[in-house]
Amino acid sequence: MSFLLIIKKVLDRVLDFLVMAVFAILTAVVVWQVFTRYVIGLPSEWTEELATFLMIWIGLLGACVALRLRAHLGIDYVVRKFSPRGQMAAEIFSYLMIAIFSSCVLLGGGGKLVHLVWVNGQSSPALGLPMAVVYAALPVSGFFLTLYSLALLYETIIHQRGRNGAPPQQASDLPKIIE
Amino acid sequence: MSIPFIVLALSFVLLLILNVPVAFSIGIATLLAILAIGDMPAFALEAHRIATGIESFTLLAIPFFILSGLLMGQGGIAQRLIDFANGAVGGFRGGLSQVNVGTCMMFGSISGSATAAVSAIGSFMIPAMTEKGYDRDFSTSITITSATTGLLIPPSNVMIVYSLATGGSVSVVAIFAAGILPGILMGVALMITAGIISIRRNYGRSEGVSFNQTMIRLVKAAPALLLIVIVLGGILGGIFTATEASAIAVVYALFLGMFVYRELKLKHLPRLFLQAGVMTSVVMLLIGTSMAMSWVLAYEQVPQDISAALLSLTDNPYLILLIITLILLGVGVFMDMTPAVLIFTPIFLPVVQDFGIDPVHFGIVMIMNLCIGLCTPPVGTALFLGCGIGKTTVSNVIKPLIPFFLTMLVVLFLTMYVEQLSLFLPNLFGF
Repeated sequence: MSFLLIIKKVLDRVLDFLVMAVFAILTAVVVWQVFTRYVIGLPSEWTEELATFLMIWIGLLGACVALRLRAHLGIDYVVRKFSPRGQMAAEIFSYLMIAIFSSCVLLGGGGKLVHLVWVNGQSSPALGLPMAVVYAALPVSGFFLTLYSLALLYETIIHQRGRNGAPPQQASDLPKIIE
Repeated sequence: MSIPFIVLALSFVLLLILNVPVAFSIGIATLLAILAIGDMPAFALEAHRIATGIESFTLLAIPFFILSGLLMGQGGIAQRLIDFANGAVGGFRGGLSQVNVGTCMMFGSISGSATAAVSAIGSFMIPAMTEKGYDRDFSTSITITSATTGLLIPPSNVMIVYSLATGGSVSVVAIFAAGILPGILMGVALMITAGIISIRRNYGRSEGVSFNQTMIRLVKAAPALLLIVIVLGGILGGIFTATEASAIAVVYALFLGMFVYRELKLKHLPRLFLQAGVMTSVVMLLIGTSMAMSWVLAYEQVPQDISAALLSLTDNPYLILLIITLILLGVGVFMDMTPAVLIFTPIFLPVVQDFGIDPVHFGIVMIMNLCIGLCTPPVGTALFLGCGIGKTTVSNVIKPLIPFFLTMLVVLFLTMYVEQLSLFLPNLFGF
């Protein structure tokens, strides 16, 4: 078990780092676009496309980090009134739903989409980047979301309690959690 | 009502009630609806809708406005804005409450987030007001309600989300321009209400700040306020796009925090990037799954059905707008703003357009409407955060909140029926 825990901790840090690094690159790319357009006067042609692709990756990888930090918005008004056992059941149900969506739609459907555009040889207009590379964010994120939702599900069952009673984490609480 | 729509609506409501995160509730309800339509590769189809939904250069403005808001929050501008507001409006009756509203308007505009305004301004202003003898629950109420003005005064992320949800038929520029007057009107109305309550409760004015002193404070706050001028001026003047403006805002906020106010350090940056990344992804996943859902709604011709149903009730556009507003007020009580905008724009926009209501105007009415929902229990982000910061409880602030709710409702109805409030500026700039 402790081995699995170590793997999870490493994975947490890797995903944190990726989101952070890709965000920093994204910022640099768009600033470069503004610079080339207004300062040099020769607008760069590839930045807009690359920036959009990076944002898709941030959005989907960040969703995994957000799941771990329970930052996704939910409505806990009704569940809070449940008995502790009911809250736990609702939480298990919630993680199951996340796992089903992530594995079926993002991993399965996204994987099929990647396969399709790879076979078509579709590539982006400005960069000539295979669209499969862009859409690969879907199955990759689906894989990690499934993994995390199952890990959280396991944690809930082991600890025999729901977390729904605890206040949902606000994005503004993040610094404390991350540091 | 078709079977797939019933499947979608029922499963969505059930999942929401059981506290499945909204983005995933939308995703699963959409999946079930596509399966109910049948004859389609449901998994790959939904995955494709999600990917194309977030593949948009306009959306890029959201992560950058989030980041610049975080950078500004770290950079210590709140105190300078408060100092300036103290000079500008502190002399009115109920001085500190006026300062509170004024600062929330400025900070909310800069940060583009009501919750950021509640925590940054509330944590300064509520203790300061309590110390000067203002009722704590009154101070908390005014902070919570005035923080939402920042969502109407641009730049505002929820407006970008609205522009996207309209499928691009409303430009970001137009809705930004449209928000200025209603946002300011909301702020002024809250100030008037605070003034009236202050007279009745005999709250005083702040100690006078001389005109010269006010000007000095304005100069100190100017670098922060300049961000609004650069972003809005640049976008409205057609110099750069909203996305480019957001990138400029990031660079400016970095420069300001590190070299002018010197409260932002390099070591803060990785954390802020990660935080912005996570906040972005929460919005992105919502947008992706909502786009898939609105595809299903369009495929099932749900907006047409609703339009026909409303038309059978009345053909008066004012009455239609009233009915939709009441529905949205109900929605806002239970749902956060971003998902509500994403889900209900594709449903109601075609309806209101059938009745000749301007989509820009409708956007402002919808956002203002959902602002009220942010301040109401049981699901009010600003309310809960504000009570936490004001060290009070929701049941304590309900009574002092009522006059401010009523003020917001009056402004909402005024904006709703005086189209020029939102459309004057966009028309002036020719959007």
